Amino acid sequence: MRRSFEAVVVGAGPAGAAAALGLARSGVDVALLERGAFAGEKNMFGGLLHRMPALEAVFPDFWDRAPLERHVVRKSLCFLTGEAGFTVQFETGAFDRPPYNGYTVLRPVYDAWLAEEARRAGAACLTRCTVDDLILEGDAVRGVRVLRDGGEIRAPVVIAADGVLSLTALKAGLRQPRLDPDGMAVGVKALIDLPRPAIEDRFGLVRDQGASMEFVGCTAGVRGGGFLYTNRDSVSVGLVLHIGSLRDSGRTPYDLLNAFLEHPMMAKLLRGGRLLEYSAHVIPEGGYDAMPRLCGDGILVAGDAAGLCYATGLNLEGINLAVHSGLLAAETVAEARQSGDLSARALGRYREKLEGSFVLQDLKLFRRAPRMLHIDRLYGAYPEVICELMERVYRIDGSPKRRLGRLLAGTTREKVGLRALLADALTAWRSV
Amino acid sequence: MRRVNVEDIFDLTGFAVDQEPHIVLDPQICRSCDHRGCVTACPAGCYTWSEEDRQMGFVYDGCLECGTCYIVCDKGAFTRWRYPRGGFGVSYRMT
Repeated sequence: MRRSFEAVVVGAGPAGAAAALGLARSGVDVALLERGAFAGEKNMFGGLLHRMPALEAVFPDFWDRAPLERHVVRKSLCFLTGEAGFTVQFETGAFDRPPYNGYTVLRPVYDAWLAEEARRAGAACLTRCTVDDLILEGDAVRGVRVLRDGGEIRAPVVIAADGVLSLTALKAGLRQPRLDPDGMAVGVKALIDLPRPAIEDRFGLVRDQGASMEFVGCTAGVRGGGFLYTNRDSVSVGLVLHIGSLRDSGRTPYDLLNAFLEHPMMAKLLRGGRLLEYSAHVIPEGGYDAMPRLCGDGILVAGDAAGLCYATGLNLEGINLAVHSGLLAAETVAEARQSGDLSARALGRYREKLEGSFVLQDLKLFRRAPRMLHIDRLYGAYPEVICELMERVYRIDGSPKRRLGRLLAGTTREKVGLRALLADALTAWRSV
Repeated sequence: MRRVNVEDIFDLTGFAVDQEPHIVLDPQICRSCDHRGCVTACPAGCYTWSEEDRQMGFVYDGCLECGTCYIVCDKGAFTRWRYPRGGFGVSYRMT
């Protein structure tokens, strides 16, 4: 194994592979380190990737080139209770033609593809390489130590793209040792095999169309929600659970997942399916205020490692931010190398680039969203109010009808209270 | 459909188990923990608390390397928390 490069990227996920790709294309001698036997081996997510204009700029034939499952034409949000569900759904032909707005992917395939593109562009991809420590000269990062052959890999600059816990950023002193359980969620997922015709019939899809469904009220009151995304011949179904709330509930993620899969509405959609794989990973949901420092002397942080992820209830984005940040980190390093200055100050251009892009603008815009997602009523009382209201609206039982406003006031008063409703509405309004 | 049963996690998910654990904890610290959130929050059920022996049990074999225990533990019980050596640990194929 070679011991010295012009740049080292830790982690071959979307952020790291994009960074290595960008650096290699700028002619930088870069090593992309991955602890798995191949890129993507350790990675999971819900399953929906959003459009990534920056990657489309790198690959004009992106849609033909990337291993995509289905492009998403329909988005829905469903409020669930024990046996009822109220769904808001949006579908448009505009999402059914390139440039597609989002698509489902399988990470061991997709991440491996992106890392392979980085390799073809000239990056040295070193797999089975777990980074265990940094090589420091004073405060400046000068490489990494790996759990392999007692090895050291030296480089004047390191991009930490090692995922949500970023032990690399921690060792560089860029993040606090404690990560807040209320700002972190754990995603658990079942990949379920379903024949293609069943997927198309049950979800109303043709060709490579895909559906994205998100659920609230399916977590037994634990902060979080559910998701279902259609792949080509399988569906990804799972839950995202806030860790602090999960801890306090005393529930286990797999019991909650099983209960979700057995909900009558879900069971119908998944009937006859075969469980293929079970996976889990932590998601940084603390938003803008939970981000670590993004650069130090000889080091930049990208993707989940930088906390570049947000959830607003309607938008859940991470990988597009990761890829964008990786490419901007690469751009920053390439420019800094020109001037021969890889100090924290020179690398600070990275933050400016992120501020100038959708990445930090969106994170800032939604910086109060975590506060809204801490309203516990969202996960129990409100789905119940909505479903009960709809049942009262639609039920015909011989009793006289009441006005919608009165029904709503009545149902809300019982389950939430007017004062709490107004306070929550205000929090939500300010958040999104 | 088959339920997700973490007792059978090796049938559901692939692993290359290393001989050396990547996570080590000090069970003495777990004894005085007031929540033991790791026991219920771990998606792989790697942690088990025996009230009788007042002992925290931990097996790393079926660890999904998700990071939940790292975040949920606020008592500093880990004397080691790192990712497995290269090529070892969980191996997703389709997810």
